[in-house]
Amino acid sequence: MIHFSNVTKFYEKQAAVKNITFSVEKGEMVFMTGPSGAGKSTLLKIIYLSEKPDEGSVTIAEWDLSKIKESSIPFLRRNIGVVFQDFRLLDNRNVFDNVAIALRIRGMLDGEIQEWVMEILKMVNLRHKADSFPLALSGGEQQRVVIARAIVGEPTILLADEPTGNLDSDTAAGITRLFKEINARGTTVVIATHNKELYRNTGRRVFRLDGGNMVGEELG
Amino acid sequence: MYILYSFRLAFQSLWREKWINLLSVLTIAAGLFMITLTFFVVYNIDLATKKLPARFSVMLYLNDGLSEQETGDVIALVKKNNAVEQTRYITKDKALQELKGVLKNADYILEGLGENPLPASIEIKLKKESVNIESVKKFAADIKKIKGIAEVEYGEQFLNSIHSIKGMAEAGSLSLIIVMSAGVIFVCYSAIKIAFYRRKEEIETFKLLGATRGFIRAPFVIEGSVLGISGGIASAAAAFAFYYVLFYKVTAAIPILKILVFPLETFPALLLCSLLIGIGGAVIALGRIRFS
Ligand SMILES: Nc1ncnc2c1ncn2[C@@H]1O[C@H](COP(=O)(O)OP(=O)(O)O)[C@@H](O)[C@H]1O
Ligand SMILES: [Mg+2]
Repeated sequence: MIHFSNVTKFYEKQAAVKNITFSVEKGEMVFMTGPSGAGKSTLLKIIYLSEKPDEGSVTIAEWDLSKIKESSIPFLRRNIGVVFQDFRLLDNRNVFDNVAIALRIRGMLDGEIQEWVMEILKMVNLRHKADSFPLALSGGEQQRVVIARAIVGEPTILLADEPTGNLDSDTAAGITRLFKEINARGTTVVIATHNKELYRNTGRRVFRLDGGNMVGEELG
Repeated sequence: MYILYSFRLAFQSLWREKWINLLSVLTIAAGLFMITLTFFVVYNIDLATKKLPARFSVMLYLNDGLSEQETGDVIALVKKNNAVEQTRYITKDKALQELKGVLKNADYILEGLGENPLPASIEIKLKKESVNIESVKKFAADIKKIKGIAEVEYGEQFLNSIHSIKGMAEAGSLSLIIVMSAGVIFVCYSAIKIAFYRRKEEIETFKLLGATRGFIRAPFVIEGSVLGISGGIASAAAAFAFYYVLFYKVTAAIPILKILVFPLETFPALLLCSLLIGIGGAVIALGRIRFS
C-alpha cells in the first residue's frame, strides 16, 4: 500500500530523512517513532504529497509519486485521510462544517452530507457538539473532529501526526481505541508519535527513526 | 456538484467584506461609465466623419473657350481616374443660373455684366475611400495635368482639420479606454487578491483535503463575476440616466443635439464586458494554483 525505496529529503542541504526504505501492507496499522526532529512528520508529508522527495521513489497504492501529474494530486489525496499535528481546523466554521468540507470537496450533495457527517460524529462521540466552534472545544474534542474529517471520505490510508500530542493519558487511550476501530474496518493506518504508550503491547510494527535515519523496526 | 457550495462561499465572502466590495463596485461602475461616455463621443465623431465623403466634392474650372470636343475629352479623361465616383458638368450658363438661384432677389447685382464671367466647371464626387488628405492631394495634382483645366479647388483646410480632429479624438479616446479598462480590471483583481489572501490558510487546508483547482477557483471567479456585473449594472443605470437626460431633456432645449446617436447595444455590451472584466480580474488574481 505504501512503499518507500531509498528516499531522501533535504531542507536547505540538511537531510530531514536519509535513504529510507520501508513498506506498509494494505490493512496494516504501523507506528513511526523517534525523538523530536527524527523525520517522522517529513515522512508523512511525503506520503500526502505535501513534500517531494529529492531522491528515491515512493509508491502509494498503484501510484508512483514521481510520475503523478499535478492535476491528479487532489484525487490521490482523497484516498489519504490526514490527522494533522496542528489540526488545521477552520475556526470560523462549526464542527459539522469542518467535517463536511471533506465531502463538499468531493462534490457530494447536501442531503447525503448531512447523514454521513452525523454518522461519523456519532462514531467519534461528538454528535452533541456538531454546532460548536473549534475554539470552544477541548483538545481531545478538537482531535476527534480532525479524525472525523480525515475518515469521513472513507480513505484507504489514514495518517496521524502526533495524535495524542497534548492529551492526558485517558483521552489518549480513547483516541488510540478509535484508530484501532478505523483500522479494523480495513483502513491502512500510519501513526507518527514519540509516545511509547501508544504502541506498547499492540503487537504492531514500529519503525524507529533517529536523525533522519531508519534505525530499527520492532513489534509494539 | 460543488458549484452550489462555491456560490455559498462566494456570497459569504462578499458579505464579510461588504463595504470594501461596495467601494470596488462603485469604482468599477465609475470606470465603466467613463468608458461608455468616451465611446459615445468617438462613436458620434466617427458617424459624423462617415457622412462627410458624401458631401465632399472637388471643383474643376475649365479654361475659357474650349470647344465641345475638347470639353468632352477633358470629362472622359477625368472619368478615367480611379478615385472618381461621379461627375457633373456645369456649363457657363448653368453656373450663372445657379448663382442667380443663390442670389434670389438680389440678382440685380448681376445686371450690367455684359459677358458671363463664370467659367464652365466639373463637379466631382470622389469614391468614399478616396476622401482623405493624401488621396485628394494626389488626385488634384494628377487632374491638374489634364490640358484644359484651369484650376482645381477643394476644401483643403476643411479636410485637414476634420482629419486631425478625428485622429486626435480616436487616439485620445482609445488610450483613455485602455487606461480605464486596465484600471477597472485592476480593481477587480485587487478585490479578489485580498479575498484570496484572507482565506489563504483555509485554501491550503482545502488543498490538503483533496480539493481540485476548480473547487478552489470557483468561489473567487463567482466573486469576481458578481463584483464585475454589479459594477456593470450600476454603470448601465448611469448610462441610461445620461441617455435619458440627453435625449429627452437637453434636446428639447437644444434640438441640434438630436443628431447625436446613443447606440442601445451599449447596455448589453456593458453587462457583458463587466462580466468578462470580473472573471478576468479574478483569474489573473488567482494565478496558477499549485498543489506541491
Ligand atoms: N519546512 C522545513 N524547513 C526546514 N527544515 C525543516 C522543515 N521541516 C522540518 N525540518 C527539519 O527536518 C528535520 C525533521 O523534522 P520533522 O520531520 O518535523 O521531525 P519530527 O516530526 O520527527 O519531529 C528537523 O531537523 C527539522 O528541523
Ligand atoms: Mg513532527
